[in-house]
Amino acid sequence: MNVPAPRLTEKIALTLAASLLSAAVHLAPLAAAQTSPASGSSQNAPVSSHDRWLHVRVTNPGEKEETVRVNVPLELAEKVLPTINKNRLHGGKVRFDDVDCHGVDLKALVGAVRSSKDGEFVTVQSKDSDVRVAKQNGYLFVHVFEKNRPKHSQVEVKVPMKVVDALFSGGKDELDIVAALHALSFQGDTELVSVKDEENSVRVWIDSKNVTE
Amino acid sequence: MILAKLALGFCGTVAVAGVYTFHEGVMRVDEDHYDGRHVHVWVPAAIVPVALHFVPSRHFEHALEHASPWLPTLRELTKELKRYPEADFVEVQDGRQHVHIRTHQGKLLIDVTEPGETVHVACPLVMIEDIARELEAKAPAA
Repeated sequence: MNVPAPRLTEKIALTLAASLLSAAVHLAPLAAAQTSPASGSSQNAPVSSHDRWLHVRVTNPGEKEETVRVNVPLELAEKVLPTINKNRLHGGKVRFDDVDCHGVDLKALVGAVRSSKDGEFVTVQSKDSDVRVAKQNGYLFVHVFEKNRPKHSQVEVKVPMKVVDALFSGGKDELDIVAALHALSFQGDTELVSVKDEENSVRVWIDSKNVTE
Repeated sequence: MILAKLALGFCGTVAVAGVYTFHEGVMRVDEDHYDGRHVHVWVPAAIVPVALHFVPSRHFEHALEHASPWLPTLRELTKELKRYPEADFVEVQDGRQHVHIRTHQGKLLIDVTEPGETVHVACPLVMIEDIARELEAKAPAA
């Protein structure tokens, strides 16, 4: 047991080195995980080839402290939605019935809109509101302007026809939400919904940024 | 000399075990009430899924009954969230109440601030995914 001091020091050094080496091997993935965000911290850095984000923003112009911001990657929504089976949502599809549509055959209606040329399909002008539904350059536009309020309210919806087609591509009486999201992911930066009234402002849009401005 | 070797071996093992235990990060739950109550829980993420193995199954039955339909959703959600290690997902500001859900450095962060109470939760996404898998394995077949 009488080991010379230099040999003992050598053994201590070896054990320490082995421990450090093991630590380094185990820590490497952690270090990589912690450094990767730094490179990804630039807000516009794309995560995948078609990394598209759906943004919802609700603001209250009167009370500036009330805001809602939701940012959802479309790919994430596409993957997660089919796992939810609750009420009418199953496998990424929502079932509806005649009662919901007041007897209107929505699928036939969409088919008619798809096959028709660009133009205005519905124009209603009354003292209370103006409503306009049109198809133009591959987009379906819905514009509602309500006058009969203390302050006017305005709803603008702009949906690519490819998304509408995908939405109704499922079986009868169902909306294929996942297919619509997939179609949406191939669209350019687009504002889909804009609602402005005296209390709130709502915006829904898609782009490649993972934050709202 | 043997004692020295044993001590060194023990220290080395402890060091490696320590590194392994913390390699997935730490789950943190911090709850502060303005009445003076504070709850701070720090748990190494790697041991949580392992600890689930030792919980008697009877304690899971009731929870799994309600949670099992959502476990595939949770697993898929965390799997996808790992692809977005730095992102803001939800932020709600309502007067003095603030809710913020985001990912940062591979962790899911949930911050809730309201008058009289703040809650901060930080969970490594890897841990949530592991837990979802463990619970799915324990859940009764549908």
